[in-house]
Amino acid sequence: MSAIAQATASLAPVAPVGAALPLQFADALIEFLSPATLADVIVRGIAEASLYVMIAAGLTLVFGLMGVLNFAHGSLTMLGAYLGGLVLVATVAQSTGGVGRLLAFGVAVVVAFGALAALGGGLEIGLVRPIYDRPPLYQILLTFGVTLVLDELARILVLFYGLQPTTVWQDVLGTKPAFLANSVGVAGVSASGLELFQILFGVLTVTGVYLFLTRTRYGLFVRAGGEDSEMLSALGVDVNRVFTVVFALGTGIAGAAGVLLAWDPSWGASVPLAAETLLPAFVVVIVGGLGTFRGTVVAALIVGLVDSSMTWWFQNFVDFTGLPEMVVFLVLVLTLIVKPQGLYGVSEVGGH
Amino acid sequence: MYTLLVNSGLSAEVTAVLPRIETLVVVLFFALFAMSFDFISGYTGYLSFGHAAFYGTGAYLVALAANGKIPLLGPETPFMLLLVLAGVAAAALAVAIGSVSFRLSGVYFAMITLGFSQVLYVFVRDWDFVSSAPRDGVAVTGTLEGFRIGVPWVDGLSVAIGQLTGDSVEGLFGFITLSPTEVSFYAVGAVVLVCYLALQRLVHSPFGRTLIAIRENEERARAIGYNTYAYKLGAFVASGFFAGIAGALFVGFRRSVTPENGFYFLVAGDALLVSIIGGFGTLAGPLYGELFDATVREFLSKEGGGGGLLPYLRANVGDATLATEIYNGLTVAEAIDTFLNGHAALYVGLLFVLFVLYVPNGLLGTARDRMGGTLAKAVPRRLRRWFDG
Repeated sequence: MSAIAQATASLAPVAPVGAALPLQFADALIEFLSPATLADVIVRGIAEASLYVMIAAGLTLVFGLMGVLNFAHGSLTMLGAYLGGLVLVATVAQSTGGVGRLLAFGVAVVVAFGALAALGGGLEIGLVRPIYDRPPLYQILLTFGVTLVLDELARILVLFYGLQPTTVWQDVLGTKPAFLANSVGVAGVSASGLELFQILFGVLTVTGVYLFLTRTRYGLFVRAGGEDSEMLSALGVDVNRVFTVVFALGTGIAGAAGVLLAWDPSWGASVPLAAETLLPAFVVVIVGGLGTFRGTVVAALIVGLVDSSMTWWFQNFVDFTGLPEMVVFLVLVLTLIVKPQGLYGVSEVGGH
Repeated sequence: MYTLLVNSGLSAEVTAVLPRIETLVVVLFFALFAMSFDFISGYTGYLSFGHAAFYGTGAYLVALAANGKIPLLGPETPFMLLLVLAGVAAAALAVAIGSVSFRLSGVYFAMITLGFSQVLYVFVRDWDFVSSAPRDGVAVTGTLEGFRIGVPWVDGLSVAIGQLTGDSVEGLFGFITLSPTEVSFYAVGAVVLVCYLALQRLVHSPFGRTLIAIRENEERARAIGYNTYAYKLGAFVASGFFAGIAGALFVGFRRSVTPENGFYFLVAGDALLVSIIGGFGTLAGPLYGELFDATVREFLSKEGGGGGLLPYLRANVGDATLATEIYNGLTVAEAIDTFLNGHAALYVGLLFVLFVLYVPNGLLGTARDRMGGTLAKAVPRRLRRWFDG
């Protein structure tokens, strides 16, 4: 906590400066460190970390194996949010009960995962495969171009159906079961149902990906391919197919993350969601070290906790709207200065 | 030239396809920004994804100085001085960012510069010192006069730029008459030309050759004895300097700037886009790329004021055709409105992907490969051979 306190202290001049500033600061710090506040902040932080890990997991899988930093990842998340939202709006009626809505959510996740995995597989075969042997720069450029196209296509379609692309699709938020909006109190800590739902979802995803990487044959190929893909193909594994499957899996997870975001009022389905999710996903992946799944999980926790505690500080002490967002990017910059490969990064990955 | 074409027989077609003069001014200063981006990214191979930070710094410096927000720089400060100061400020920022960032390479370098520029973006977006509504950016309100390009303090040797605030020229040499925007075009063009020549000089100097050596094989360059860190940092600072000037020109002409069109990372993304289309690692390439990009965007623009596809079709295609239903009550006019107008990003993006895949050297790079040398040298050579032959 002391690091955060120092960071805040240096930002303090932004706040309305009074004569008793250090005193106010001490007051705020004591309040921040009180068990109830801290527990609240931690729960919210873990919920945000779950979202971040969902957004970033696909990105890190793809980078770890193929060394392709997928700039289109945010757009794919955005497409997932719209697709999932479409399923939710189509299936959920006013009278649908809570369980029915959760079921519809499950269907939406499956649809978004499937559709985006198919799209991702297609992208890999059609566009990314021809440029593996070019410098890494070109993969960034290519996926950046894909982002432009996908975003603009989404904007056209959304406008065509009479929605505003820049504002959140409210109908989807309306399909959320009522009990997710309520707060649940457990042992003096109150958390909203949505936060618990997000945490559950995040934990499930992390476990799923972890089991896939460590317990399945394909996961073995993925880990081996990350180390040395030539050797892997020399051993008789069809590396191209592994690449396609992992790319499809990565984009599929991005789609599922999008559906989860579509229910969160602070994100929601909109076209700018693409850039809004891409940047934190980059931060998480880079801070953790490109290509390490463990690093991504740890970094998501760090970023989530920093974000939620900075949100608290902004609401209670520092009068600067952009504080959480700015500190998140500062985390990226500071990590790269202190540990240039990220927390768990290997020096060979990423053009070092 | 433009007037000649517009008054020719194909007047309607020409008006539709060619960009307007306002757009061309934008092309000029944005091309300078893209060139500065290309100078660092195309020549050293280090993708500076946070380049918007320097553009935004230059732009905000001019806007704030004109509003009297910066100590020692009142609204009366000559624009030429501001141009240089904007460059210096951006260069200073580049020293700070670069000295940290060049310890990294590859994707990590792109990410740390992106991180820095986003920190600045969020900061400027929410800092209420810059204006009362920082999210909407800053407009120049401190002075009503146009920013003057030319010799400072001498009105006769300088012209004011801007669409509304610029000077117009009448009867120069007896026959040249220019509107304020046209004057801006030539004035901004002169500054951009000077900057281009300076960059060109840098590229062809031993310094520039070393940068290319770093791009091709950094370990070898280091082994020969070059201090690659210093060279890269030097290139970054020079690049930041010119990006700052581009930002200053931007505010000089537009008289306002927002966080979104100054500091946001997609501004650097646009520079990347036009550099690739024009030719990565060729200094003039970004200019052609930006010209191309701006032309397409304006051709498909939503307003359709002046030129563009929409007014052309409205004027030249019968109403019956436009009202034909294609599908489920969707008329041709509506289809064009839905799928084409204001959606140039889609087509430019598609084209960009095709360029990355099939024309990695861009327009200018490919032309040079075809001709076997820079166009200025190769075209006369070809012509001579053709006439002699």
